[in-house]
Amino acid sequence: MHSDPPPSLEKRYARIGVVLIAPTVLVFCAVILYPLISAIYLSLFSIYTPTLAGEWVGVDNYTALLASGDFWNAALNTLIWTVGTLMLQLVFGVAMALLLNQSIVFQSLARSLVLFPYFLSTVVAVLVWRWLFNDLYGILNHVLLIAGLIDAPVNWLGQMPNAMISIILVGAWKYFPFVVIVVLARLQSIPEQLYEAATIDGAGPFQRFTDITLPQLRDVLVVVVLLRAIWDFKEFDLIYLMTGGGPVRATQTLSLLVYEEAFRLNRMGMASTYAVAMMLVLLGFTLVYLRQTNRLEEG
Amino acid sequence: MAEVVFEKVRKTFGSTVAVNDLDLTIDEGEFVSLLGPSGCGKTTTLRMLAGLEEPSGGTIRIGDRVVNSVPPAKRDIAMVFQSYALYPHMTVGKNIAYPLKKRGIREPERSERVMATARLLELETLLDRKPAQLSGGQQQRVALGRAMVREPQVFLLDEPLSNLDARLRAHMRAELIELHRRIGRTMIYVTHDQLEAMTMSTRIAVMNAGVLQQFATPADIFHRPANVFVAGFIGSPAMSLVEGELVGSGGGDGERRFRVHCGALDVALPAGLLNRSAAPGPISLGIRPEDILLGSGHHTAAVGVVERTGHESIVRLEAQGTPLIVRAPGDTPIESGETVRFSLRVERLHIFDSTTGLRLNADTKDS
Amino acid sequence: MNASRARMIWSVVTWTIVLAVVFPLIWMIVTSVKPQSELFSIPPTLMPETITFEHYRRLLTDTPFLQYFRNSMILAVTTTVVVVVLGTLGAYSLVRFKYRGRETLATLVLFTYLMPSVVLVIPLYLMMAKLGLANTLASLVIAYTTFALPYALWLLRSFMSSIPVDLESAALVDGAGRMGAFVDVVLPQALPGIVSTALFTFILCWNEYLFALVLVNSDSVRPLTAGTMNMLITSFNIDWSLLMAASVMMSLPLIVIFTFLQGTLTKGFGAGAVKG
Repeated sequence: MHSDPPPSLEKRYARIGVVLIAPTVLVFCAVILYPLISAIYLSLFSIYTPTLAGEWVGVDNYTALLASGDFWNAALNTLIWTVGTLMLQLVFGVAMALLLNQSIVFQSLARSLVLFPYFLSTVVAVLVWRWLFNDLYGILNHVLLIAGLIDAPVNWLGQMPNAMISIILVGAWKYFPFVVIVVLARLQSIPEQLYEAATIDGAGPFQRFTDITLPQLRDVLVVVVLLRAIWDFKEFDLIYLMTGGGPVRATQTLSLLVYEEAFRLNRMGMASTYAVAMMLVLLGFTLVYLRQTNRLEEG
Repeated sequence: MAEVVFEKVRKTFGSTVAVNDLDLTIDEGEFVSLLGPSGCGKTTTLRMLAGLEEPSGGTIRIGDRVVNSVPPAKRDIAMVFQSYALYPHMTVGKNIAYPLKKRGIREPERSERVMATARLLELETLLDRKPAQLSGGQQQRVALGRAMVREPQVFLLDEPLSNLDARLRAHMRAELIELHRRIGRTMIYVTHDQLEAMTMSTRIAVMNAGVLQQFATPADIFHRPANVFVAGFIGSPAMSLVEGELVGSGGGDGERRFRVHCGALDVALPAGLLNRSAAPGPISLGIRPEDILLGSGHHTAAVGVVERTGHESIVRLEAQGTPLIVRAPGDTPIESGETVRFSLRVERLHIFDSTTGLRLNADTKDS
Repeated sequence: MNASRARMIWSVVTWTIVLAVVFPLIWMIVTSVKPQSELFSIPPTLMPETITFEHYRRLLTDTPFLQYFRNSMILAVTTTVVVVVLGTLGAYSLVRFKYRGRETLATLVLFTYLMPSVVLVIPLYLMMAKLGLANTLASLVIAYTTFALPYALWLLRSFMSSIPVDLESAALVDGAGRMGAFVDVVLPQALPGIVSTALFTFILCWNEYLFALVLVNSDSVRPLTAGTMNMLITSFNIDWSLLMAASVMMSLPLIVIFTFLQGTLTKGFGAGAVKG
């Protein structure tokens, strides 16, 4: 190659940029892209987990999926769980953020304490809640009995609809702090003048909330809902550890179904098919999220 | 020789043209301002010279070296940024020493030079502070010090005074002039403030929409604006520009004579005011506020708003639908609403071709 | 005064809810120091009559808890170091360089950030078996990278893009190359962001359960999450005090990190997680 003319600055810089990202891209391809593609590939096989012996079945798994009661049952459970826990997280999270935005005593301590469940291991959260929910010795039943709200100990995790309600509640408890963090950060960035101007214009506290706070929160709430919807949709640990999908399959979501197919029923091909179906749903979510954030960046 | 030359330099970002075929030669030791409204390409021009942007076409030379693809570090330039861009984690001393360190200048020379620069800018007592602990004016000095310490061939300054308050800005203008006089290096200064450009520069390059409009001394820019844009951009308050018609009025003595009709204004131009290319047709008539004399004359106008600053009064007139701005002495006895007579200093009128926008006065230098 | 009364009311309301929210955690600590005899008393005692650290002693001596703890620590630290080094370089590249495919790459990072682990666990399980890494800590480090790397990249990207470009430009003009400017100016500026990202990544790895459940099956490599759950599942009589003690111990590193991160939590993390 000739040395003149010298390579342009832009080209030299681009080369540095590519060198910097190269290790990441390599790791990405090896541990994410390759497994993703093989998941799709595996979904075309029938594989027995212990021996890993596979047999090509084409799209049979997909036709089986559409006809499978388990799949639709899990899809419905996923929907109920996601919508239920997300709504609670949202309402509770926004309310908590508004409270924590008030001037209260030990404000920063209160803020930190509220965030704690979010950073706790799901394993710890589940252990604690299973102990609280314990039908014989759990404190929850005792408190409710003393308060006269129930007359006999409730079986929280072994019956429907209690089991679904329980995981939705625990999910809300564990994840609402995320909503608090984001909303609180946004609340603090609303200029005080807006409220002062509204007060001068004669708006009361409620009007100030609906006319200023809510519109200012709207964009950030849309993003929070999307992110939380994605994360709740794919939740595995919490539900698996709380109920294991039971009683029977009453709280089995798609994530749990994938796990069960692959490692209990030893049907890896079928499990991959379920996983690919989940991936497609999430792809849709992600696209909506991207559109939304791009819109926010432009706006 | 450290002259700076732009030859047919272009810069495009996607489909937008930021700088269009720029030709500019800046002599060694000059103080040149790139002046224009925001988005005119002046900062892009400076950043191309710094090596922070790469030209899409043309060549840039510093001395006799083509620097198009030379990284900033190897250009022997220094730059002061509008945001100052002081390194927040380094002390003032470390900030100033950084360019020396990067060029392998060792202790104790490094410290000596930092001290010398600090002394010059009266920063000695601040050397151990972090930038966040300094006032805006002090930060500005540190930014200047970091640029000066290395004694580069060319200094680039990107709106360095725009974040200072008005008083400090006036003070720093004087200091920069003094600094330039003392070190005698080429300085290229980007600003949108014509006052800064007019007071400090040896020459000004006026830019608009990526195109160089005029490159001349401040006096030339003011008295002989090359086109309508420069005429309207330079001067405060701005020159009144009135659309009108240039008509011939054959003088009889062989000399070409012209009149301008601009609405109510009908003015006979003195012989020899216009150049050879002037011909009857649509023109823009430019009148500086100080070239309208109130009190007598055969024109009349209604007085609009009068702004008094004490030593002068800015008077807005309306001469039968034609708005004019006048600079009058501060004690002019004039009130809004009355009618005044005025006259024009016809030898100082500016005539521009309406279609090309170019100046038609005879004093325009051909270049 | 009206204002101070309003403040009192808001304080009482808010603190009541806050205490209700953290009650399960208080109960966890209380249970962990109650003697076995008191545990099953009806009604339960809110404050233990006698405090005992017997459960902690048993946890450390009679169970593989310390082994699990060590495994978790090795896992989380290794993954965090790998991911933060890669992520810092990668995020800088995504934020400040122009090359073909950059935008696509950024989108891909987001997509994988939101990808469910359960999709990857099957192919990773097969991959580890093929590579002979089944049932090793290395297999978990690799698996953890799948969620930690996109996460760290995403956080670091937003931290890095908030550093003024002018600082790098100044460094370039002052005589640094691109990498010199990165080391001298960008890294010191990004350091708080890098530390926060490292801590968040650590938490994420520390808390991971699914991969730990699937990819390893012996106590010598099992991390805390899977190990503690194993104690629950395999025990004949569920020993709640022991499990609560384990929960407390497991949460200790998080409490340390948490106090350290308090400031960032209300600002940086919210911004990083949402703005992207």
